[in-house]
Amino acid sequence: MSPHDLSLVHTGTVIEEDSLTLAQLCRACDVHADWIISIVEESIIEPQGENSRLWRFSGASMRRARTALRLQRDLGINLAGIALALDLLEELESLRKQIKTLEHI
Amino acid sequence: MQYKDYYKIMGLSRNTSQDEIKRAYRKLARKYHPDVSKEKDAEAKFKELGEAYEVLKDPEKRAAYDQLGANWKAGQDFRPPPNWNEGFEFKGGGFTSDEERAYSDFFEQLFGHSGFRPGDKGQYGLHARGQDSHAKIYIDLEDSFNGATRNISLSTPEMNAQGQVQIKHRNLNIKIPKGIKPGQHIRLTGQGSPGSGTGQPGDLFLEIAFNNHPFYRVSETDVYLDLPVTPWEAALGAKIKVPTPNGSVDLKIPANSRQGSKLRLTGRGLPAQVPGDFYVVLQIALPQANTEQAKAVYKNMQKEFTFNPRQALGI
Repeated sequence: MSPHDLSLVHTGTVIEEDSLTLAQLCRACDVHADWIISIVEESIIEPQGENSRLWRFSGASMRRARTALRLQRDLGINLAGIALALDLLEELESLRKQIKTLEHI
Repeated sequence: MQYKDYYKIMGLSRNTSQDEIKRAYRKLARKYHPDVSKEKDAEAKFKELGEAYEVLKDPEKRAAYDQLGANWKAGQDFRPPPNWNEGFEFKGGGFTSDEERAYSDFFEQLFGHSGFRPGDKGQYGLHARGQDSHAKIYIDLEDSFNGATRNISLSTPEMNAQGQVQIKHRNLNIKIPKGIKPGQHIRLTGQGSPGSGTGQPGDLFLEIAFNNHPFYRVSETDVYLDLPVTPWEAALGAKIKVPTPNGSVDLKIPANSRQGSKLRLTGRGLPAQVPGDFYVVLQIALPQANTEQAKAVYKNMQKEFTFNPRQALGI
């Protein structure tokens, strides 16, 4: 890498302010649109927008979709099970955060 | 190269049935899956488990592994005996997995390289867009308050022309936008995997996490500080200097404040689009009665107050 590259500063976009289209989410997760549509139908992730052409996905949706994919591939859980697992995992995470906060007081 | 005891990894004996192997795998996979598990080194354990199962679930590979003999100990230096796999034909049962898995040297010596299929690149055509990549980066709370430029180093496994996986390191200077929250993602166009042919490179997604701060805690856009105060400051009220991530402020403590009381400084949390709040949580610190003078003050309090903090307990 040349010193020139080191001085280059990359400016990205924050997904929460400029959310992802269906095509962008598919690429980010490396899956086909069908799979994303199936997890939207299972309401594992909830896009903004009326129909799939207008859908916009948040960064949190991207994280949920990628976790869902890993759970499906590694553990063979079906979509309904994934939806339940994700909700419980999020609840667990928020309870753990609360414990951490309470331990301080 | 070290011998790996796949039975020990799965906690099974050598004469376990195929059905039991599957059940054991399911149970352990749930326990060590990195998305679910809070165990230490869950990721390493899950990989090791996946490799063990890859061999033991497939009767052909299992039989080949078994005939290496049961006298090997895990971690022992291992060389496969000549012609050890003579007469075994691996049909590639588990080799078609979609994921790029990195198996141990031990596995690859026995069963060949399996993580990447040579045909993989072809499926998108010669001029394909590169894959998007993902990484998590840790920044300081102050970076979000002031905005910052951070140098991050990323390591990516890449396949070279000989089909071997190599870890490639690179450094990037990233602009951290002011007001970014933990859990938000920054997308860097064109910084993912290179495309093939004339295809565009993929994008790079960075998930933001905050380093633990010695005294601030962050919850969404709000920032919390535990502030030690003296009993007289809490009881009589006071004006105290309080540190915040963008400079110290004078805070008025109301009289008769209690332990754990929260005081809010509106808009002094993370400078997001809707700025968060800054909360001061009062922690009453007691001076020790370690001099005659201090003891006299406590004794005087004992005499002057009729105070029962255990009233609610009914005693």
